Amino acid sequence: MVCFCSQLNRPGQRHWSIIFSTASRERLKKKKMPFISKIKRQTDYNLFPSSTPIVIDNGASYFRIGWAGETEPRVIFRNIVQRPRHKTTGETVSIVGDHDPALLKYFDCTRSGPRSAFDNDVVYQFEIMEYILDFAFDRLGANGSGIDHPVLITECVCNPVHSRSKMAELLFETYGVPSVAFGVDTAFSYKYNQQHGICGQDGLAICPGFSTTHVIPFVGGEPVYRGSCRTNIGGYHVTDYLKQLLSLKYPHHMARLTWEKVEDLKMEHCYIAPDYFSEARLFQKGTKEAEDKTRCWQLPWVPPPTEEPPSEEEIARKAAIKERQGQRLREMAEAKRSSRINELENELHGLGFLLRQLEQVEANDIPSFLSATGYVSKQEIESSLAKVTQSLRKAKGEPKSEQAEVEEKTEASMNEKYPLIHIPDNMLTSEQVLNPKEPKLKKKKKKCIIIAIVIKLLLAMVSIQLKEKRRQIFLKTTTEGRQRAKQKRVEEGLERERKNQEDEERRLENPELYAEQMRAKYKELSERIDQRKRLKTNGSHTNGNNTSGGVGRGERLNAAQRERMRLLTTAAFDRGKGEDTFGAKDEDWQLYKLMSRDNDDDDEGAEADEAELARVSSRLQEIDPKFVPKQELVPPQSAAEAPRLRPLTKEDFQIVLGVERFRCPEILYHPNLVGIDQVGLDEMTGVSIRRLPSKDEDLEQRLTSSIFMTGGCCLFPGMSQRLEAGIRMIRPCGAPINVVRALDPVLDAWRGASLYAAKLQFTEQTFTRMDYYEKGEDWLRRYQLRYTL
Amino acid sequence: MEAEVLEAELVLPTYLSFKRVQMYEKYPKGQSRGRHWKHLKQILQAENYRNYPPDEPNYVNIESPPSMHPCKRLCDMTGYEAPYYDPRTNLRYANAEVFKLVRSLPSEYVQRYLALRNAAVVLK
Repeated sequence: MVCFCSQLNRPGQRHWSIIFSTASRERLKKKKMPFISKIKRQTDYNLFPSSTPIVIDNGASYFRIGWAGETEPRVIFRNIVQRPRHKTTGETVSIVGDHDPALLKYFDCTRSGPRSAFDNDVVYQFEIMEYILDFAFDRLGANGSGIDHPVLITECVCNPVHSRSKMAELLFETYGVPSVAFGVDTAFSYKYNQQHGICGQDGLAICPGFSTTHVIPFVGGEPVYRGSCRTNIGGYHVTDYLKQLLSLKYPHHMARLTWEKVEDLKMEHCYIAPDYFSEARLFQKGTKEAEDKTRCWQLPWVPPPTEEPPSEEEIARKAAIKERQGQRLREMAEAKRSSRINELENELHGLGFLLRQLEQVEANDIPSFLSATGYVSKQEIESSLAKVTQSLRKAKGEPKSEQAEVEEKTEASMNEKYPLIHIPDNMLTSEQVLNPKEPKLKKKKKKCIIIAIVIKLLLAMVSIQLKEKRRQIFLKTTTEGRQRAKQKRVEEGLERERKNQEDEERRLENPELYAEQMRAKYKELSERIDQRKRLKTNGSHTNGNNTSGGVGRGERLNAAQRERMRLLTTAAFDRGKGEDTFGAKDEDWQLYKLMSRDNDDDDEGAEADEAELARVSSRLQEIDPKFVPKQELVPPQSAAEAPRLRPLTKEDFQIVLGVERFRCPEILYHPNLVGIDQVGLDEMTGVSIRRLPSKDEDLEQRLTSSIFMTGGCCLFPGMSQRLEAGIRMIRPCGAPINVVRALDPVLDAWRGASLYAAKLQFTEQTFTRMDYYEKGEDWLRRYQLRYTL
Repeated sequence: MEAEVLEAELVLPTYLSFKRVQMYEKYPKGQSRGRHWKHLKQILQAENYRNYPPDEPNYVNIESPPSMHPCKRLCDMTGYEAPYYDPRTNLRYANAEVFKLVRSLPSEYVQRYLALRNAAVVLK
């Protein structure tokens, strides 16, 4: 495939660097750039006398202005105006023509797109026209008061008088032009080439322009407008078509496909195929010729930085750093642990000391003694002592095998903690309820208070005991449940381990067979999942005009879903014969469970399947180096995101122009392809000849023997051959057909006009301001230029 | 204005010596700038071509007629010859693979492809 890149530097100056791949040795052809903007201010305005006319070619694409008698227009620019706001000052300015986009960054161009004064090829927006003329005269070097030169300006064929008069008014009133002449650009181009001998005195001029295409027959050197013909298709439509096709094909590169860039692509790569369908067939078959004709545009793309495998030193260095960090962390942990151990030991000593003291103190003084320390009873001290010793032991980092011991201990303590559980209800005594941790009351105090308390207690006894008992039962069951769950997990883990072992053994004894089985299983699972997915998602989104969607869905739902639908509809539309007894029985409410979507077992099945699939695929990946897990079929809506699932490659950033190269200019011959219901170029000649007022075969032969092409669009390669073939189809057999192209299709119109304006008799063809006001609009309507002077 | 913008003379100056009436005088800032310019259709209507002899060429006269040849049937997506069309979406397609693509297009793209041919459903 021949691949080459083109880069655009500035819209004003177009260079492109063409890089060829070595597949086919083609000569590097230097392409002649057809359109270049020239907007340097001219300095010699004052050197020209007042009689020298200014020649303006007011085209829908480009505006060319210069002096009569010269061969090149002085100023050329694109016929558009932008009115953006300056970002910092906020004022709205006008910018005429196309400019370096780098400079435009100072302006906020979002609200103002480029605007043209044209609608088709008729000027209708004179405010924009005024901006353009301002700019043009300014760059021509105009200074002083008023433009003091006659002006020759081009217009479209059969320009409506409204537009013509507004233009004349603009020139006369605002610019002070003394006299004005209107002419048709195609005619000027024809005359220019006629003088150079390209075409004869009688001929057909075909001008595919920017927004329209004209065919004008010339008889005796003068255009016969009655026989002319206009189709509203032109270069603009070709570019637009190409842009839309590429945007639809490459939606994620849409930002890159600006109108200017697409126009460059069109000018560089598009051609006209001699026969559309045979060319398309070449591409369809994928022949080598088609490959040669495909161009691909490589967008700038930076591959993500590949991580080099770290060198030995790197690895060593990183390991050392990690080691040091680990060391530091360990030291910190150690320090913390030792400090905690110290604390605990201190506490332990303190408590031990307290206990010993307690033993020495008399029984009577115990409460007062204890209140001083903050503990209420001996039991409390003992229990906190036990806790502290335990945490100390843990902190000292004794091995986990002691956890079993600890667990046993907890069990033992649990039994102690829940002593009440084992005691049946009616045997719970008041003492146990009151102080579950302190069964011994002081004997002294018993005598004093027992009478009062017992009465109260007996009343509240049962309820409190029960509450306490229930709490303990609850705690016990939850902890037991937790233990059971833990055990189950352990068992499951063991089971899995066992299965893996078995698998391994099977694999080792017969690797081939195992791999086969795995693969088969994988395929089956993936198919099932795909099918399920397809079923689920098929009815909802794939097509826009889903006229049969509702009907088709019913067939694809599975039994459960159909049942659900049936229930829903009967429930909704049930009129009910007689009394409605729904709800009398408990089982009736189960209906809602059936109706609810959450009970779709499909989902559960799908999940299990998917988990299984994942496991199998991972297994396969381990054992079979050639296995490639099938990418999940990404739903087509996110087709644009599919490339991002895998790392972006160079190919993702290539825009391939294959069929589009000749599909887009085809619309000049078949406007039906873009929905414009008019004839194409080849048929237009037939129409034009038919429309001629006089039916003269001789004349027709003369016309077809000099078919002249001009206009920007005729620069497509292959245009002449195609046109000739097309015209031959509609003309009688044996008629002479000769298609010629203008010397410079783009600038010849201006050159012709310049030559014309330089002639002495030009002044007779112009009209002045007085003429315009005296003779009125009707005269202006009938005003036509005489081209043969 | 930044230096380089001034140097490039990007911006149209507001005062030009050769003009008799400046832009800001003609279109004062306060009034609505969207001056109502007649569009081509309105211009043509106002021309009253009916009052003039039909032989005379005018803008409407010289427009081309519809084509006599049968319209070319191209596949909307690939550009090959397309003898078939999808009744659900009205897109033309060339073969079965393209058909798969056509059926998998989201609705927005379908309408855009149709709009290329001026066959999209426009809801007004």
